[in-house]
Amino acid sequence: MMSIRLNLVAIIGSIILLLIILELVRTKYLRERYALIWIVTGSLFLLLSIRVQFLYGISSFLGFTVPSNTLFFFGILFLLSIVLGLSVITSRLTEKNKVLTQEVVLLKKRVADLEKSHHSGNPNL
Amino acid sequence: MNTMKILIIVPAFNEEETLRGVILGVRTFLSQADILVVNDGSTDSTANIAREEGVLMLEHPYNMGIGATMQTGFLYALRNGYDIAIQVDGDGQHNPEFLPSLIKPISEGKSNLVIGSRYLSDGGFKSTLLRKLGIKFFSSIIWILTKKRVTDPTSGFRAIDQKGLELFVNEYPSDYPEVEALISASKKGLHFQEIPTRMRDRQGGTSSIGILSALYYMLKVTLSISIGSFRRVR
Repeated sequence: MMSIRLNLVAIIGSIILLLIILELVRTKYLRERYALIWIVTGSLFLLLSIRVQFLYGISSFLGFTVPSNTLFFFGILFLLSIVLGLSVITSRLTEKNKVLTQEVVLLKKRVADLEKSHHSGNPNL
Repeated sequence: MNTMKILIIVPAFNEEETLRGVILGVRTFLSQADILVVNDGSTDSTANIAREEGVLMLEHPYNMGIGATMQTGFLYALRNGYDIAIQVDGDGQHNPEFLPSLIKPISEGKSNLVIGSRYLSDGGFKSTLLRKLGIKFFSSIIWILTKKRVTDPTSGFRAIDQKGLELFVNEYPSDYPEVEALISASKKGLHFQEIPTRMRDRQGGTSSIGILSALYYMLKVTLSISIGSFRRVR
């Protein structure tokens, strides 16, 4: 059984996590698109700390002897999926960044060429 | 067929020791071609040399890798109406003497892509065991997938026509692009062939391929090709 003190720490921790997420969304440091999964996670933490029985229920259903292992198991699974998702996002950004850079490089050359022909065409400039 | 517009693309990353020689060589052996140096974020005087020589230049704001560098050159070639684009490395290992024979199959309409091979003739290019193994490995992969014999699949000394340009501006791997480029060219139905060349040993700088990167090259290409074969051709 979980002590009241530990339970309280868990609840407060979850609330702080949720508040940080909401603040990040509010200040636009975190896009709504990516915030959703974090808000769901934070809420899940909160739910589990308020009703610890859920955790015990899931543990005995899945056959974990120690409830904390259930938490670790799903925690690691969740982190793995987040990291994988981030790798996907990074790959996409790398590709887009490359295309953008190449376009800028070509545009710079074009502008320089245009400036040159403009200047040579109009000696007054 | 002297009416064809030809662009020599010189990818250059810190090649101040050799770049001038490369430009002079191209001017000697293929004087009608335009020369485009794509400076891939060099920190030495590469850009100054290109400016002094009065060649075309594009400058990456940071180092983006040989594949992206070539692709930038391909984009320039395609948008400015060039018929043929040729890669001549800035380190001086590609011998400009062979430029006319490299473009010949394209100007005659026989090929879309021509590779200058070190191993087709007995030019006596000194090879390490690792390099030989790698080449053998890539040659077999290409043979399995395209049923074509390529003796020097990692050679960057290549000429491509407009069809090749249209393909490579859309898909060209950022690093170690040579082998994959051949396979996607073959998938697109482009015809490629090799011609014998002799290459010089590096005239300056250091080779970009050590044992770890050679392994990475092989792994990366294998992965990309085996997964890529399940991908639909765009």
